[in-house]
Amino acid sequence: MTLPPELPMPNSTQGGVFNARRAAYFDGDTPLPHTVTLMVDTGAQMLEIGFPTSNRDGALWPLKEIRQLDDMAGKEGVILRWTGDPLARLHLSDPTVLCHMHHLTRRSPPKGRARLGAWAFGAVAAVALQIGVLVPLLADRLATFVPPAGERALGEATFGQIRQALAGTGLPPLLTCDGAQGLATLEHMLVALGVERGTEEAIRVFVLDHEMVNAFALPGGYVVLFRGMIDAVLSPNEIAAVLAHEVGHVENRDPTRHALRSAGSIGILGLLFGDFAGGAAVLFLTERLISANYAQDAESGADEFAYTALEDAGVSPAALGDMFERLRDKYGDTEGVVAHFLSHPSLSSRINRARDAARSDAAYANIVTDAQWAALKVVCD
Amino acid sequence: MPAHGVDVWFVGNRSALFWLALKLGFWTVLSLGFYRFWMKTRLRRWYWSAIRPGGHPLEYVGDPWEKLLGFFIAVVVLTFYIGIVNLFLMFLSFSIFQSSAVGYSASFLGVIPVWFYAQYRARRYVLGRTRWRAVRFGLEKGAWGYAWRALVHWAVTICTAGILWPRMTFWLEKYKTDRTFFGSTKLVQGGHWTMLYRAAVPFIAGVVLLMLTVVWVLWLDPLLPGAEEVFEDLLDGAGAAVRLGYVPSGWDRPARLLLLIPLVLLILYGAVHYRFVSKRLLADHKHADGVQMRSTLNGLRVSMIYVLGTTIVYTLLIVGMIGIVGLAVALLGPDAFLEAQMGTTDPLGDLPQWVSLGIIAALYLSAFLFWGVLHHTFVTFPLMRHMAVTLSLQNVAGLSKVSQRARDEFAEAEGFAEALDLGAAI
Repeated sequence: MTLPPELPMPNSTQGGVFNARRAAYFDGDTPLPHTVTLMVDTGAQMLEIGFPTSNRDGALWPLKEIRQLDDMAGKEGVILRWTGDPLARLHLSDPTVLCHMHHLTRRSPPKGRARLGAWAFGAVAAVALQIGVLVPLLADRLATFVPPAGERALGEATFGQIRQALAGTGLPPLLTCDGAQGLATLEHMLVALGVERGTEEAIRVFVLDHEMVNAFALPGGYVVLFRGMIDAVLSPNEIAAVLAHEVGHVENRDPTRHALRSAGSIGILGLLFGDFAGGAAVLFLTERLISANYAQDAESGADEFAYTALEDAGVSPAALGDMFERLRDKYGDTEGVVAHFLSHPSLSSRINRARDAARSDAAYANIVTDAQWAALKVVCD
Repeated sequence: MPAHGVDVWFVGNRSALFWLALKLGFWTVLSLGFYRFWMKTRLRRWYWSAIRPGGHPLEYVGDPWEKLLGFFIAVVVLTFYIGIVNLFLMFLSFSIFQSSAVGYSASFLGVIPVWFYAQYRARRYVLGRTRWRAVRFGLEKGAWGYAWRALVHWAVTICTAGILWPRMTFWLEKYKTDRTFFGSTKLVQGGHWTMLYRAAVPFIAGVVLLMLTVVWVLWLDPLLPGAEEVFEDLLDGAGAAVRLGYVPSGWDRPARLLLLIPLVLLILYGAVHYRFVSKRLLADHKHADGVQMRSTLNGLRVSMIYVLGTTIVYTLLIVGMIGIVGLAVALLGPDAFLEAQMGTTDPLGDLPQWVSLGIIAALYLSAFLFWGVLHHTFVTFPLMRHMAVTLSLQNVAGLSKVSQRARDEFAEAEGFAEALDLGAAI
């Protein structure tokens, strides 16, 4: 490493004049160093900067208004500025004179706070308007225009990704169960629930061989049950209730809307948090929060759909409540902050609503026979 | 004023920078990234003050608050573009092409012009906030002009399979340099684009040698004598070799394939060499009225700094991560991790999932923090030092004619570059 050169500077050693060896003054107009003599007038609280080699007038800096530049590399030398002159700089190698200046590190308040506040508000409002209003509104509108083939392709791709993710990397995708009689039972349930069958756009139901107690719907009419769900329930009506609920999502086009909404909001949130310092983590949490908000309305809508379909099939809507009870026994209820992060509104309230939907005077039956139910229980074997 | 030149010094040591970057990085992580505007400002101040042409440091006078303001402005402008445009692109992509890939690539392509625009604006901001000897630097307006030129140059470069890359490097640099001022003096980029081919010699040599080797191995003296489907048989054989751990017996002198390793390394070296040596060639041809720049940057040395620094950064990062995981396993027991993992795959799991997610997020953030700090210490610092000390001003007679220029009031600072995540290094 090389060091800065010794600049030829006059040594002044008169009384009251500081040794300003290697000191230089830049006037903020030309990039030429001026040799200086420095004198502190303690009475007037002034730093008198003299220019012995030129005929320009000396400068007077009030000691209280002198600041030192921060975050300098290297310990050699300091640079001073005066708040009254934004451009001029005084370079010093000898720091003895600094003891007379007591506000070297005092900061000035940020300028234009109102403007900053206005734009900060604007940014928050723009993001909120986008994520809360514009994107959902547009997504809901556009979702109805996506042609069935597009939805189906999207659902197929997503289903493949989910099966791969559940199987783990490097393994073949998770298998769907293909017990013919079990699938026939599901088909029977769909017919009983009044779901359209036999057409190109008809809903397709799959069972995934996985212990998770859950079910989900994907764009293009994909409804997926986990084997864990079939193992956990006590009656076929509960499976019918889950099916009706997921069919409700499909009928309301929730999965397609959700896909479009995420496409719009993920970009905005990525923009807001940046990639630095783990924006991705924040991004994940926030996206989850938003999708949970969408889904709470959507879940209620799907529940309502399920009550009607079950009622029409002669099955008690309370079956949906029973099924939620299994979930609650398995995972516990979620309230407060945690509930806000999960896609489903508090289970207890949904159980109560499902039970309220069942008429006390009605005679309800099972949706399938015991033999059909037994076949469904072994659909993955 | 002396008519002879001045050298550029570089002061400041690595450990001071390390601690500064660590402290600032820590605050950045704690504030979920909002402190990054202060971090950037203070690190720039440090680097700028380390670079001392003629012994007088550069000064960075950028303000973190204006960066924050600029970021908000960029968010307001870009949020509509990105949100609504992405939504429509995805809709069209699902509806017409039945896949999301088209939408994603269209959305990516749409950002590219904004990206170049932001790059130029960021440079204008940084130059506008840089002073030397109390005189401001500056860059003229012209970001959209830069953006469309960059697009055309990239298109030409891609269409010519990279042969005209030096032409792009030269003309884009010339566009920026010819609009750069120091005070009242304008910089000029002299020279000709063909001069940059000298910087590309190691890269071209690597590519030519690789092509010759491929021709030799496949056709002149085939690895698989008498094979019809050269590529398919070769791929089958390679797959089998990887799976089974031995070389197929039908191959003729397979050791020749080991030649590919040094050739690929040579090409990688060539890419780094081009990046830095082209900067030297361009710097040597930059001048202002009465001032001439000169660079003696050593291509081999700077490439070694880059490669070694990057290797050190990643090695330390991996060692550190293994250490953290080892410590966690020792503290919590191996079961804790298994449970946490099962928790995360469970969409209805409650608190334990968030605890484990919190741990993962904390690890991710600290990895990011350490990566940044180490990158400053082992890559940015030595590179900047080498580039600074090899630079000099040959003739500074013109400096006496320079006077101050007006301040570039610049509302959005580098907000667009910040929002689009570019130029994050310093």
